[in-house]
Amino acid sequence: MSLSFLDKSYNAFHDDQSFEEANSNTLTLYKEPGLVVPPTFNNAGFRDQSHEIAKKFAKGTTTLGFVFNKGIVIAVDSRASMGNYISSQNVKKVIEINPYLLGTMAGGAADCQFWERYLGMQCRLYELRNKRRITVSAASKLLVNIMYSYKGYGLSMGTMVAGWDHTGPNLFMVDNDGTRLKGNRFSVGSGSMFAYGVLDSGYRPDLTEEQACELGRRAIYHATHRDSMSGGIINVYLIREDGWHKISSTDMDHLHWNYVEDKKKEIADRNKL
Amino acid sequence: MSNLNEENYEEERGGFVFDNVTRNMFMETKGYQAPIAMKTGTTIAGVIFKGGVVLGADTRATNGPIVADKNCSKIHFIAPNVYCCGAGTAADTENSTALISSKLALHRYSTGRQTRVVTAMTLLKRMLFKYQGHVSAALVLGGVDLDGSHLYTIYPHGSTDKLPFVTMGSGSLAAMAIFEERFKDDMSEEEAKSLVHAGISAGIFNDLGSGSNVDLCVIRKDSVEYLRGYDQPNERNYRTSYVIPRGTTATLSSTEEVLSKQLIINELDDRMEVAP
Amino acid sequence: MTTHISPQMASSGTQHGKFEPYVNNGGTTLAIPGKDFVIAAGDTRLSTGYSIHTRQSSKVFQLTDKCVIVTAGMQSDASTLHKTMHARLVHYEHAHGKQMSTEAIGQMLSNMLYGRRFFPYYTFNLVAGIDSKGQGVVYGYDAIGSYQSVEVGAMGTGQSLIQPLLDNQVAYKNHQLVPSKELDLERALSLVKDSFTSAGERDIYTGDSVEIAIITQEGIKYETLQLKQD
Repeated sequence: MSLSFLDKSYNAFHDDQSFEEANSNTLTLYKEPGLVVPPTFNNAGFRDQSHEIAKKFAKGTTTLGFVFNKGIVIAVDSRASMGNYISSQNVKKVIEINPYLLGTMAGGAADCQFWERYLGMQCRLYELRNKRRITVSAASKLLVNIMYSYKGYGLSMGTMVAGWDHTGPNLFMVDNDGTRLKGNRFSVGSGSMFAYGVLDSGYRPDLTEEQACELGRRAIYHATHRDSMSGGIINVYLIREDGWHKISSTDMDHLHWNYVEDKKKEIADRNKL
Repeated sequence: MSNLNEENYEEERGGFVFDNVTRNMFMETKGYQAPIAMKTGTTIAGVIFKGGVVLGADTRATNGPIVADKNCSKIHFIAPNVYCCGAGTAADTENSTALISSKLALHRYSTGRQTRVVTAMTLLKRMLFKYQGHVSAALVLGGVDLDGSHLYTIYPHGSTDKLPFVTMGSGSLAAMAIFEERFKDDMSEEEAKSLVHAGISAGIFNDLGSGSNVDLCVIRKDSVEYLRGYDQPNERNYRTSYVIPRGTTATLSSTEEVLSKQLIINELDDRMEVAP
Repeated sequence: MTTHISPQMASSGTQHGKFEPYVNNGGTTLAIPGKDFVIAAGDTRLSTGYSIHTRQSSKVFQLTDKCVIVTAGMQSDASTLHKTMHARLVHYEHAHGKQMSTEAIGQMLSNMLYGRRFFPYYTFNLVAGIDSKGQGVVYGYDAIGSYQSVEVGAMGTGQSLIQPLLDNQVAYKNHQLVPSKELDLERALSLVKDSFTSAGERDIYTGDSVEIAIITQEGIKYETLQLKQD
């Protein structure tokens, strides 16, 4: 298997073959770009087995992103689990596509990592061909077209594409069903409902940069606190007109004890009054 | 199915409770997984020699791929002149042998005679047959009684064999290969011990379910020698030291409680009274 | 209340033979990066179920003068992967007149694994090498190509026994007092040996011997330590 499949420019509309057709009589089928599709005779056992192996990494997650007046905040946890086992506590779930674009990782780690790297390449080719940066809208569309063309193949991705282009800050949510949504606030992953609770109650468009980053961090912290599948380090990114900046990388455990201290002080102060 | 309200609540009288069998079978069809019992993926064996029986076992107990006990004892006491090696679910082998052992003790008190090996075998097979293989105990039973030396295998469903040399458990093939090669009728005690040792060792080294040490038990006409840890070929050979300075683990909070200054221990003689 | 299961529900008509191309051959691998060295190790037992196939099957494969790969999982997939990687590296060396950098090997393996996204190699890999800055680096992978540089990596059947220990002793996880002295080669090596002896005590698939590759700027040295044979 060579890297040469990446030379072929990806055509989102090439694939009019349905999944059933593709699986009907060929033993091995190379579906652009270059992925080997499994043989299909008596496939039941195989599908179980290969699915078990493929899904083994990075399932639980909390990621979030929101747009405010000054830009976009992206905040994520860093835990990867294989069933009950925590396989990593410092996964990079923010994928730096290029200096102006960020992607987030939820679902299958390999799927997110591979396709967002591939997206980075496509974005660079777009720049070279058109002498201007790709819009966030177009970039997310490239990604969702891939997702749609592989629909039913078992890819697992819940990602946000965020960036600053000539239209300003933009945030999109893309998943493996082929969903692509534009919005101001998203949270994706098993801990998303906890993050949404904090995010929705603390969100205002006129937050300062510091306040916005703290809101993102706090929302992920609460998710890691309640969702056993999320945890580890909390990474916060801020996107401004000049591109993305990594703001902080904090162990959720340290954050927890800081918050406990803050709360103690708050109570002590209130009792003084 | 019994209801646990006051009217028809019956006091537990020992033995198995089957109340949840149907429920659990239903839950398993819905994808629920029953807890896994500790198994002794095992090598056990026995050989008859001129003056008695030699039983042997490895000492590994596993829980899936993990070694749960590195030095468990698989040769169980049945009667002063009868011992039994167990393979299968640890709880089943331990409790089945203990149950039959106590029944035989009562039988001895009642009759005043030595237990016969065939009696132990019959009680075990009846019990195992009754439970249709659900009590997963695979046993090697050996002993010496007034009729001479006897050696049996008892399968989980209740079938039995009476043979001069036997093996059981996941390492049975490895051990039997050695026995088939080297067994002779009327061996001396030393020959028999060395043969069982070789058979169990084959299981320990070639079967992943078996491991650690070799236990032997020699039963003669009027004596028994239980050789726990007869051979220990798997001692740990490397160890690093770890120095963890005080304060490495965070102290979140601390409280102090003063215990009474003196601890008084009353040693009571609480041995059970038994008939002479 | 009674539960009724109809006979139609119980038996499902036609029976198919199952296509099950994967087996787990067991074993444990481990890699620790240091400032100017990296250690990679793998035990040499190869088994399925309760049987040992061989006691001297290597999991360590040398890729370049300063990079090795250690693979746990299924032996046939591992050897295919190693051969394919080797071919790619020879090709690269002929085309470019130099060996591939450890960083590039890291990305290449990810692409090769993801290329089989829908029929994965049943392998769990650690790539250990000296990077272009002269520092030790270890990349850890899942079966389908997700990868990241790690502070310490363990894979295979003994992973859950070894990784927590090494997180604590190498990456100083859950330590309030973090020693200012960084891990030297001697300590790292003794941790590797202790990890494998410990895993060999409790994991039935880890044993026989452990092959240790010690990579420095000077080259690669190999050491072997006997483990328990049971």
